[in-house]
Amino acid sequence: MNSAHFTSSTGNHAVVVTRVSDTQWHALEDDLVVGRGDASRRPDGRLFISIDAWHGAVFDRIADAMLTDLPTPLYTVADEADQDSTSAWERAGFTAVRREWGYRVPTDPKVTGLGSVRPPSGVTIVPAGEAEEGPLRALDSIVRDEVEAAVGWQTMPAEVLPRPAGTSVLDPSKYTVARHLDRYVGLVRVAPLTRQPRIGLIAVRADRHRRGIARALLAHALGSLHRCGTAAAWAEVNESNAAATALFEGIGARRAGSTVEFVRR
Amino acid sequence: MTKTSGGVEVEGTVIECLRNATFKVELQNGHTVLAHISGKIRKNYIKILPYDRVLVELSPYDLTRGRIRYRYRA
Repeated sequence: MNSAHFTSSTGNHAVVVTRVSDTQWHALEDDLVVGRGDASRRPDGRLFISIDAWHGAVFDRIADAMLTDLPTPLYTVADEADQDSTSAWERAGFTAVRREWGYRVPTDPKVTGLGSVRPPSGVTIVPAGEAEEGPLRALDSIVRDEVEAAVGWQTMPAEVLPRPAGTSVLDPSKYTVARHLDRYVGLVRVAPLTRQPRIGLIAVRADRHRRGIARALLAHALGSLHRCGTAAAWAEVNESNAAATALFEGIGARRAGSTVEFVRR
Repeated sequence: MTKTSGGVEVEGTVIECLRNATFKVELQNGHTVLAHISGKIRKNYIKILPYDRVLVELSPYDLTRGRIRYRYRA
């Protein structure tokens, strides 16, 4: 495996960066691991890297080694509030390409204003756990094709990235579905995390947009969480997704952080 | 407490999320450290909340600082 030697700013000891596997790099100082790099490929094919180091100089050297070893483009994510991390990635030649807002979404109908929201005429809501897997899988496939043909998955939060064909896992217990006549037209997926459930995906078929289906799905899903004693859920929204931003901010969701995606081409 | 090639790792509980992407974590020995999230956790969009039980790698340069390397399932 590749190695690179240098003297760190942390003292007079030489630090060695070594690629210890196809996806991992270690920075060693006196046989102590003082930094790590990691690379992993997302289902959409993009290569994401991460680096942990106690000092900026070590971060920079690990970044140099990874950039030498790996093909571009390379991607990474950082908390926008973490100035040390964002500036370190910029030093390594990465530029910000996308921002996701993290929203704390209230569930109380008195706060969301969703208590009186009903599905549009002809649409019924199928509660979580009651959706049939076949039609749900068909809707999931349609939604994914529509996203791919429109904005593309690269603009979507990582949570909703598609998996390779044939490997998609659908757990009906996580999905609340909107049904029109005999087919499913919209869905919301809520991961039942103990302290703060996560709204992983909300989508409506393109030919059913702007009819209030997404609001009705949220009203049902958030109402269920509220009745179970959960005060808030979490959701990530791409800042360029005006419709999703308006939907969440319109029900009282508050921005509680942001994640920046960087790329080095 | 375990000793890894990277330093000391200690289990703890997140007691506060601070504004600058850091967390106050109370360790099993009662000490409190300020910890960042590891890049791998960030990359995988794992969200850290108060009361989460986590594994913290302590900085070999400053034992009041750490890095959250793992979040245990609730």
